[in-house]
This record gives sequence, C-alpha cells and structure tokens, in this order.
Amino acid sequence: MNPAWTILSAFAGVLLVLLLPSRFAGLARVIALAASIVGVVAAAAGCLQRLTHPEAKVWDLNLPWVPELGIHFHLSANGISLTLLLLTGLVAVAGVLFSWNVSHRPRAFFAWFLTIIGGVYGVFLSRDVFLLFVCYEVVILPKYMLIAIWGSTNKEYGAMKLTMYSIGGSALILIGLVVAYAAAGATSFDLDFLASVTYSSSLQAWAFPVLFLGFAVLAGMWPFHTWAPTGHVAAPTAASMLLAGVVMKLGAYGALCVAMPLFPQGFEQWKWAIALLAVVGIVYGALTALAQKDLKFVIGYSSVSHMGFVLLGLAVANQWGLRGAILQMISHGIIAGLLFGIAGRVVYERTHTRDLTELQAFDLWKSLPGAAIAFTLATAASMGLPGFSGFVAEISVVIGLWRAFPWLTLAVAIGIIITGAFSLRAMHRAFFPVRKPSDTPAQILPSLTWSEISAISLLLVVSLAIGIYPKPWVVLIDDGLRSSLFHSILSLP
Amino acid sequence: MNYSALFIQLLPEAVLVITALVLLGVAVAFESKKLQQFPAAAAIALATLGILIAGGVLFLLPCAKDSGTPLIVSDPLARLFKGVVLGLGLLAVWLPPGRREIPQIGEFYALLLFSLTGLLLTIGTNHLLFLFVALELASLSLYLLAGFPSTAKASEASLKYFLFGGVSAAFMLFGLSFLYGFSHTAKLTDIAVALAAGPPTALAITGLLLVLVGLAFKMAAAPFHYWAPDVYQGAPATTVALVSAASKAVGLVVIVRLLMIGFHSVAGSAGLGAMLPGWSMWLAVLAAVSMIFGNVLALAQSSVRRLLAYSAVANTGYLLVALAANGQSAAGSALFYVVVYGLATLGAVAVTAAVERDRSDDSLSSFAGLVHRSPLQAVALLVFLSSLAGIPPLAGFFGKFAMFSNAMAATGSGGQPGLAWLVGLGAIMSAISLYYYLSVLKQAFVRQGPDEKTSPCLSLCHALAVIVPASLIVLLGLFPSLLLGPITQALKLSLGL
Amino acid sequence: MILLLLILVPFLGAALLGVWSGADRRNAGRFALLWSLLPLACVAWVGGRSGGVMEEWKLEWIPDAGMDLCFTVDGISWLFLILTCLVVSFSLAASLSSERANRAYFSLILILEGALFGVFTARHFIPWFLCWELTLIPSYLLIRLWGGSGAPRAALRFFIMTLGGSAFMLVGFLSLQLSVGTMDFTKLGNLAALHQLAPALSKTFPVAGMAPQTLLVIVALAVFLGLAVKLPVVPFHAWLPAAYAEAPTPVTMLLTGLLSKMGVYGLLRIFLPVFAEVLPSLAPLLTALAVATVLLGAVAALAQTDLKRMIAYSSVNHLGYCALAIAAVAAAQTDRGAVSAALSGTVLQAINHGIIASSLFFGIHILESRGDGPRGLRDFGGLRVQMPVFCGVSGIAVFASLGLPGLSGFIGEFLIFKGTFTLTPWAAVISVIGLLLTAVFLLRMIRLVFHGPLAARLAKWPDLGTGERALFGLAIALIVIPGLWPQALLQFSNTGILQLLDLLRPIP
Repeated sequence: MNPAWTILSAFAGVLLVLLLPSRFAGLARVIALAASIVGVVAAAAGCLQRLTHPEAKVWDLNLPWVPELGIHFHLSANGISLTLLLLTGLVAVAGVLFSWNVSHRPRAFFAWFLTIIGGVYGVFLSRDVFLLFVCYEVVILPKYMLIAIWGSTNKEYGAMKLTMYSIGGSALILIGLVVAYAAAGATSFDLDFLASVTYSSSLQAWAFPVLFLGFAVLAGMWPFHTWAPTGHVAAPTAASMLLAGVVMKLGAYGALCVAMPLFPQGFEQWKWAIALLAVVGIVYGALTALAQKDLKFVIGYSSVSHMGFVLLGLAVANQWGLRGAILQMISHGIIAGLLFGIAGRVVYERTHTRDLTELQAFDLWKSLPGAAIAFTLATAASMGLPGFSGFVAEISVVIGLWRAFPWLTLAVAIGIIITGAFSLRAMHRAFFPVRKPSDTPAQILPSLTWSEISAISLLLVVSLAIGIYPKPWVVLIDDGLRSSLFHSILSLP
Repeated sequence: MNYSALFIQLLPEAVLVITALVLLGVAVAFESKKLQQFPAAAAIALATLGILIAGGVLFLLPCAKDSGTPLIVSDPLARLFKGVVLGLGLLAVWLPPGRREIPQIGEFYALLLFSLTGLLLTIGTNHLLFLFVALELASLSLYLLAGFPSTAKASEASLKYFLFGGVSAAFMLFGLSFLYGFSHTAKLTDIAVALAAGPPTALAITGLLLVLVGLAFKMAAAPFHYWAPDVYQGAPATTVALVSAASKAVGLVVIVRLLMIGFHSVAGSAGLGAMLPGWSMWLAVLAAVSMIFGNVLALAQSSVRRLLAYSAVANTGYLLVALAANGQSAAGSALFYVVVYGLATLGAVAVTAAVERDRSDDSLSSFAGLVHRSPLQAVALLVFLSSLAGIPPLAGFFGKFAMFSNAMAATGSGGQPGLAWLVGLGAIMSAISLYYYLSVLKQAFVRQGPDEKTSPCLSLCHALAVIVPASLIVLLGLFPSLLLGPITQALKLSLGL
Repeated sequence: MILLLLILVPFLGAALLGVWSGADRRNAGRFALLWSLLPLACVAWVGGRSGGVMEEWKLEWIPDAGMDLCFTVDGISWLFLILTCLVVSFSLAASLSSERANRAYFSLILILEGALFGVFTARHFIPWFLCWELTLIPSYLLIRLWGGSGAPRAALRFFIMTLGGSAFMLVGFLSLQLSVGTMDFTKLGNLAALHQLAPALSKTFPVAGMAPQTLLVIVALAVFLGLAVKLPVVPFHAWLPAAYAEAPTPVTMLLTGLLSKMGVYGLLRIFLPVFAEVLPSLAPLLTALAVATVLLGAVAALAQTDLKRMIAYSSVNHLGYCALAIAAVAAAQTDRGAVSAALSGTVLQAINHGIIASSLFFGIHILESRGDGPRGLRDFGGLRVQMPVFCGVSGIAVFASLGLPGLSGFIGEFLIFKGTFTLTPWAAVISVIGLLLTAVFLLRMIRLVFHGPLAARLAKWPDLGTGERALFGLAIALIVIPGLWPQALLQFSNTGILQLLDLLRPIP
C-alpha cells in the first residue's frame, strides 16, 4: 500500500458520498470514516516501511501532466511527508468521529471534509510545485463552505475572512512560484529542479519574502494571523480541528519545503525578521488567550501561539530547530484537534455555551468527568508538560533557538509561562469551578458517546506515544531532512 | 487564385448562411400559414443542425490548400478557433432566448447564425479590410441581437452597444487607414515587413494605437468597457452568452494575429527597468487598468449579470497580461484561457437565466437556497464561478496559472522577470475576485431560499447548456493538455515563429 | 524488563480503574489497595534477591542527541521504592474509610505511584523530568478536588511554585545538554569528577568576564531551585502548609511521605555528583538555607494551633536536617567517615521520616474520621481515656518523630548530626535548637491532645477498629524495627553511598 492511497481514498470517499441517494444520507459518515481509516492506514504503512527499510529508495511517482509548461504529476514520500501524512490521517479519523451526529446535509458536509483531507494529503506528497499549489488551493473553497454552512458564531464573516486571507496568501505564493519558474528558464515546475537553481541575490531579496509570507499567512504568523481565531471559532468542530490541526501546517510545510529551499540566500537575509515575528506571535498569542472569555477563542489564540513555535523552528534553520518545528507541527495538530474536539463537540453540544463564566454553572467536573479528564490531559499536553508530545517539540525548538538566536530564548520562556497560565485558567474556569453549596445543582448532561470517546482516546494515545517515545518520529524527520532540498539551508552557518 | 480551394475554405460559413436563410424562410412560411409563433424548439433544432453541419464540414474536409488570397486563410489556428467558436455558438443557441417570449424567433436565430458567420470569417483572414468587414458583420448582428425582445432595458442595451460599437469601429477603420497609408498594403504579412523596415513613423504608431482601441472595445478592456454592464444586464441570455464567450474569443484571436504576425517588430517591452516603447507597454497599461476596474467595481454589484460583466472586464485584463509578454507560449496560454473563460461565463449566464426564470430577476438574493431548489444548477454554478475565480482543479485556475507563468518568463533587466509587477497585480486582483464570486456562491449554498420547493426542470437544451460547459471545465482542468496541446501546435504552425 | 513492568503496573491499575465504570467507591478502593500490593511484593522480592539492585532498562529517545529514557535500581533507589510502595498502600488503606474518595481519586493515586517509581529510578534527566512533572497533575487534582475549603488556592499555589521551580531545573539541564551533549546523571557525574563541566559550560556560553566556575554555580543554583521547592527549603516552602492542611489527610500522607522525598533523592542523586566542582562555593548558602529551614520549621510548628499545619511545619523541620547534611557534605569533604555518616543519615532520615510522618497524619485522619469538627490543638483532650490504644500507638509515632533512641527517627538524625558536627560544627550547633523545639511542640501536643480533661464532643468516639489497628501496628513495626536494627536499611544504601563518595573527591 503506497502513500498515494491516502489521496485516492479521500477523493474516492468524496465521490461515494456525493453519489449517495438522499435516503441513505446517514451513510455518509460511515463512508467518510472508512475513507479516513484507509488513509491513516496507508500513511502508517508508509511510515513503517520507511522505518524498517531506511536504505531503500524513497517512494516516488512521476507522470508527465502538461508538457507544454513542464508540469509533472510528481508525488514523493520522504520522512517529513510521511509523518505529516500520518498526522492528517489521525486528525481526519478523529474529526469524522467528532462529527458523527451532524444531521444537517451530512453528504455535503463529509464531501467537503474529505476534499480538504485529500488536498492536504496532496500537498504533503507533491514534489512538483504546480501540483503542490493545486492541492493547496483545492482546500480553500471547502474551508469556506464548511464554516459558512455548518459553523456557529459569526459564521459568514469568519468564513469570508478566513477565505480571503487564504487566497491572499495564495496570490503571493503564486507570484513567488512563478518567478522561480521563470527565472529558472521556464522549463519545469519540479521542486528539486527549481531548488537546485541558484537565483540572483537581488531576485531572492524580494522573491523570498513574498513567497514565505504567502505561506506564513496560512501558518498564522503575526501580524497576519487575525483570520485564525475568528475562523476557527466560527467553524464547526471537525472543521476547527482540521483547520487548526492540519491546514495551518500546510503553510508551515510550504515555507519549509518550498520557500526556504528555493531561495536560501533570501532566507538567510530575512530569517532574523521571521524569528522576531515568530516570537512576537508566541507571546502575543499567549497574552491574548489569557484575556479571552470564550473557551474556543482561548484555543484559537493558543493555536497562533503554538504555530509561532513552528515558525521559530523554521527560522533558526539548524537540525534541532527544523526537527522541533516538524515535531511541533505534529504535536500541535493532535493537541489542537483534541482541544477543539472537546470544547466544540463534547462541551458545546451539551451546554450550548462556550463562555467561561457560564460554563461554571454546569460543574463539568461532576457532570462530564470524562471530558474534564481529557481536557486536563490535553491542557497538560498543550502546556508542554513532559510525557506529552509538546514537550519534545518545544525543547527541540529551544535548543535550536539557543544555537541561532540566543537572546530570543528569554522571550520564548516568557511565552511558555504565559501559555501555562492561560491553559490553567481556561481549564480551571471551564471544568473545575469552585461551587458553593448554595449554588443550584448542575443539570445532568448526556454522557460521552462511543464516537467521542474513541476520538479522544486516539488523539491522547498518540500524543502520549510521541511524548514518551519520540524516536521513530525523530528518525523519520531526520531522514526527511537529509533530502537534497535542505542541504543549502542546513549548511548555512 | 484557386477558386475551388477558396470555395472549400468558405464552406462552413456558407453552411451557416444557408441555414440562416432557410430558417428565415421556414419561420415566415410557418407564421403566415399557421398564424402562430414559430416554435422556439424548432428554430433551435434547425440552428443546431446548421452549426453541426458547419462544424463537420470544417473538420472533416481535408485541410484546404492555400487558396492564394490573404482574404481567407485556413491555418491551423483559424481552424481550431473556428471550431471553438462554433462550439460556443452551439451552446449559446441552446440557451433559452429570454425571460419572456421573443416575437420574432426566426429572425433571432437567423441573426445569431449571421453573427457566427461573421465571427468565423474574422478568424480566418489576414487582410485588414476583410477583417473589418467580417467584424462588422458580426458586430451588427450582435447589436440587433441585444435588442430582443423590445423591453426598455433591452433597447437601452442595444442602443448603447451600437453607439459604442459604432464609434470604436470608426476608430478602428481610421487606424486601419493610417496603417494602409504607412505601408501601402492591407495584408498583414506585408505590413509586418514594412514595419520592420525602419523605425516606426508617427503614422504607423497612431494607426496601431487606434486599431488597438477598437479591439479593446471589442474585448471590453477598461476604459473602453462602458457598454458591457448594460448589455450584459439588458440583452437576452443567448446574446450575452455569445458576446461574452464567442465574441471575446474571436477578439483575442484577432489581437494575437495582428500583434504577433503584423506588428511584432514594434512590440517593445513592458518589463520593469527595461521599458521600450511599443504595444507591449500599452497592453500592460490596459491590462492593469482593466484588472483594477473590473475587480473593484464587481465587488459592489448586487445584480449577478452586471457582476459577470465586470468580471469580463477583469478577465480581459488577465488576458492582456499574457499578451503583453509577447511570447508564443504566453499567447497560447491566453488562447487557452479565453476558451475556458468563455465556457465558464456562458455556463454562468445559463444558470442565471434559469434563476431569472424562477425568480424573475437576477439579483443576488434570487440565488438564495439554489442548492436546495436545483442541485444541478447550484453545482454547475459552483464549477463556473470557481473556474472564474481560479480555484483548482478547474480549467480557469490552470489558464490563469499558465498565463502568469508565461508572462513572468518575459525577461526584463538583468535577466529578472520584467513583468513581475504586472503578474503580481494580476495575482492579487484575482485573489480579490474570489470575494464577489463567493458572495454569489454564498447565496446559492449557504443561505436559505424563501421557500423550499424544487424548481421546475430545465429543458433539455438548457440543461445541456449547463452540463456541457461544466464537464468541459472539469475535464480541461484535470487534463489541460487536451486543449493546450492543439493550441500550442496551431500557434507554432500558424505564426511560423 | 521487570523494571519497566514495575513502573507501568500502577498506570495499568489506574487505566483499569478508569474503564471499570461499574465500580462503586468501596470496590474501587479495595481494587486500588490490592493492586498497590503488587509492586510492593515485587520490590520486596527484588530486595531479598539481589540486595535491591536491578538491571537497567533503556529506550532511545532522540538518537545521537544523548536523550534517552533510562531507568535503573540500585540500593538507594530501592529504599525509596519500597518506601513508595509502603506509603501508597498505607494511604490507600486510609482512604478506604473516606466518604469522598471515588474511582478518579484512587486512579490518581495509582498514577502518582507510577510517576514516583519513575522519579526514583530515573538515570537520565529526560525520564526524571517527565516523571517529576507527571507527579504534578495527580497531586494538584487530588488536593483541589477532594480538599477542604481553601483547597483551590492551595492547590494552585502548589502547582505554580513546583512548576516554576522545575522550569529552572529544566533550564539548568538544558544548558548542560548544550555544553556537553548529555543529560545522563552517571555521565555527568563522571565528567564533573574530572572537572570538565565548568570549562565546557563556559565554552558554550561565553559570557564576558565570567569565570567558568561562576557559570556552573548559576546552573547549580537553577537546579537547586527546582529541588528546593519540593524539599522544601526555606524560603520556597510557602506552598506547603496550606497544601498539607487543605488536602485530604490520606493525600497529605502521600505529600509528606513521598513527594518531599523527591527533593531529597534529587539532591543526593543529581545535585551532589553533578555539581561537585562548585559545591564548596555553594556551601555557605546551602548551609544557611538548611539551618533556616530547620529553625523556621520548628518555630512555626510551635506557633500552630491546627494539628495538620503543625505536623506540616514539623515535616519542614525534619527534612531540613536532610538539607543540613547535604549542605555539610557540600562544605567540606575532607573526612570520609563524616561524609558517609551524613549521607547515610540523610537516606535514613528520609525513609524513616516518610513512615513516621505518614503515621502521624494517619492518626490525624482517624481523628477526623471520628468527627467532623475542628482539629485544633485545643479541640481535643483526654483522648487517652477515650481511645487508649490509639494514644498508645500514635504516641510511639510521636516519640519517633521526636527522635527517641530505639525508634527509627533517632538513627537518621544521629548520623546526620555526627557528620555535620565534624564538617560544619556551627551549623550543627544551631540546628540542635531545632531538636529542642521539636521536642517542645510535640510534647505539648501529647499533653493537650492525649492528656487533660476529656472534651465533651469526644465522649462517644470509638477506639481503633481492627483494620486501623492492623495498619497502625504495621506502621509501628516499621518504626521500631529500623530503630533497633538500622543495618536493615543501611545494607542497601551502603554501596550507593560509597559510589557517591568516590565521585566527591576533595577538590585539590
């Protein structure tokens, strides 16, 4: 089972879901679950394959597509792609499980959902920048639809803002990619070929920030991050999980695997700015999260803060930093999925409020103990407590940061402390209220369904697994970092 | 001159003319005998038959040898685009003529066939005067077609179209006369030789400028686009489809021919830091203005037809970006995009016509809840508008991407991509355009309509006019080489560059 | 492999409790108690078989980065392991009678047990830190959700102070990782013995004008901060009285019996070997803090009226002796005999105090379970008449805490003072005051609680039940036996102490 099955299963799922007659609309979720499971199995198989046979050639598929422009349908699965594929698969499965009771137009919902998944798989596997861009853009319209139709707070505004920021970023990416293509002789869109060309430094000086910014908008870099909290809060649970957990990683992946290898000298000139903005994002995101009244907004701003770690890891551009960045991508993907899943699906569906003060009346620790425990663990993971995946990622980034920009470490440490503060505050207020005996007794809430329990357990187990035994992931990431794409970045002093 | 070859070359157009005349005759006879309206279905069927036969003749007959006159050329580019125009015309024929019954059905479809004839003749000529005549044939038919039925809006549209069109035709003729005065010939190939002989005189430049203005009108480039919103809004759907799809394609082919065969020596360059005077720079300016005008004004529209009109202006801008790059592959990608754009707008007009029939106007709120009323229309609209916005994996995305890539490849100073500023503007404008396309799709998919009852089914022709473009757009999006290959090949052979 | 299983067994128990949704609190408690006997048996068997030494278990974490999960058991660790098993089982047994304890409560205690196993057997900073932090959440939740009225604030303060301290510890070790590329305690100890740490540090962090030693001192202080919060050392003890008082008493048993020992263990295992180069420079500060802890603990205990707070401060005082011994060893390592005495005393004091303090709090728990009223010093009285057996056994525990010879509390303090007198005489002299003050408040407690007129509300209180007698009896046995036969414990710790001595060669 090669990694292309991930893309295939997703789009096959879309077709099957759309062909369902309306009487069987309830089957849409089953098909979506099956497709997601096939995807995650394919991804896991790919990872295992690479781990057990590291000396074998990387899986590659290269078909000519539009010869007039030198475009190929080129897929390739190196270590980094494989780990991110696995992340996508896991978040997809959890997302479907958390959406198990969507009753309003389920076929359309799961069709859009699976389209996003398929597009994301495509981005992670592409080795031709045109194909990568196609998959990157495919995701934009489904994002809008998912939020605008099934969302909650301010959904149309949130959806439009998110979409317009995304397409704005894509416009910048388009410019950057096309410049690279043209300056390389207008012969091919192959990523390795374009990366091997040395562009003039005057070109790189402006082309790199344009291209990187385009990707960084989707990655939530400060100050272009404002779409993220609004959009994620407006989105339905599964979409929030996908958006914060996976789609934001597309931006970081693009920055790492396209922008940086294409214009390494440009990167070298601009990396201090990226590092600075990333650190501002970490601290700003954490501070804003501290001030939020809505639980989902807390999680939304915490996503901005965590993505700051990813961008910081990219900016330091040494082995530790890049490793940490990718680990943080994976870790945050799982954790964001978990947090949004619990806040959106488990809590909001039952209490119909996300306001921290109003939630106190529900005494969730008593009425939904499973959710409280899960949220506690997720908060621990989000804070970077050892034993969970966040710790490994953040420690790697900090080690890398120390080697590159030591004086930023203090700001990052402050950010981590504030992260702990807001995480605890949210957890406290939402799940462990201080109740006086005179308060009205909390109403009974329906207990967790099997789908919610499975989704939560899946994500928690994975986060713990990474936190306790990160070696296989690190091996895969190192294997990916050995690719020729990163030679020029990693060799820069 | 080889008259038999000439006859064979003109066969498709002849078929169309004969069909038009037959249609006219049959319609008159029917109406005088039966004293009732000639059924639209019959007219459509006849017109379809005629177009199909013309298409068959075009492609099945062996490639005509050169007939020895520049008035009619049958190079591969001409054949390919004659086929394209016939296809687009066929789709336009299948659209319902309008919101209400058109009293003179026979005349309507006859005029449509005449305009198609004119468009076909325009594509296949290398002689400037003949070009003008053919263009006028097409345009006059279109002016009249815009005026059916005689409502106030349609009459206004027709009048405006005629006035603008007439003035721009005058400009063009004026320019052509200057060119003739400069080169003493109306053959494009000879004009090229004359222009290459020495630095262009003021006469040549003025002539060139005036011709470009005339063509810019045809293409609805800003600031010569003022006819477009009213025509798109007032004219019947069929006319709008023709204007937006077929006429635009023809306009582009004409520009490509003129500029790349005739005037390529005075191309100049619009690259930053390497600007040379020439039509390339003028096109770049036109492109920038069109893109900005079209997109910004479209943001404010509440009528979908006017939105499509401004979208037409913006898309002309994108096309001109590719042309400003003055390269063969850039021209090829522009030709690809104009076909795809034509399909998408035609389809959008078709869906708008269906919505108008159900909800009596074309405002944004009429589209509310379309996905519940008619999933077919809504999904097709999704395909069309996404293609226009440039969302993959549809053909519009590929077209824009190809155009921008090729435009960027035009080098400026120091080997840097010179047109980066223009391409950058284009990319950003294209991103902005998603906003207004999404606002229509938002109505269709997100909002609830006033009632939940399903719309009546579309007639077979109308449904085909919706399904065929949608399928083609998806197909070309996944396999663009199907069209891009033949275009590139045809360009290479025809331009001989 | 056995070691890994040992560490995982409590977690498995917690997981089983988690999924066993039909359990009521009685059954949950019994299950937890029985389950906790499994590791107890296993550890005891290991102790009998191989003198407490087990082979190492290692799992590579990040290859070629010197980061591994690495656990091993030697004599000293074994002592702490058996202490953990005993105190956890003790606490679980005590919780059986509590009405508020439920499934979640017992699961959390089991998780805490597993984390403690990890702390006491970790050989590398990563597993150490992992398990150290892992103890935070269960203890936080246990205090907050089952505690008294002031529990939320107390729990939060506990959590934040411990987390803050461990952040410093993390930074310190990260800097070591960046300098020498390893965080393995043994390797670091060897490097320190060869005086290679300071130069490596100053090479990685070239701060102008700072001697290499100073840099290492800063790192040492950072690490010390993390350990000091746990021990606790004045002035980082602020979380302790509130936390101990507000927590449910069985949880306080855990806190005092085990969590504080994490700090002692850390000082022994990590602080002394790794920072051997700069110990003399740190010694004055350490000694001052230790003495302050001893004194403050005793004085504050004297001033308390709440029984729980009193014993809490008394814990601060007792653990201050351990800190005192460590500080003394840091000050001067000239006399091997004295150093080994001090170190052995630390280990013994830690273990024995664990048992004794737990027993004391168990006594308080019994008093609480009899009646919900206040638990101030003066709220009881004449208990001897009403509950003679209780007073008898708890009296033994109190005297052990006092340091009566023949009971286990004496031997640890004796060895500590023996070592400290030789190494830093003046500190020892001042700390004796602590001993005296301890005697004062403990005897006062006996007078006020056990003797005197019988308070009215105690009139109906039953004496110890069978279960309680068994538990208390076991605890007393564990107090008496090491008191009469200290070799029982020393045989395990001797090898470890000797290894430590080798690392701490006197600085030339």
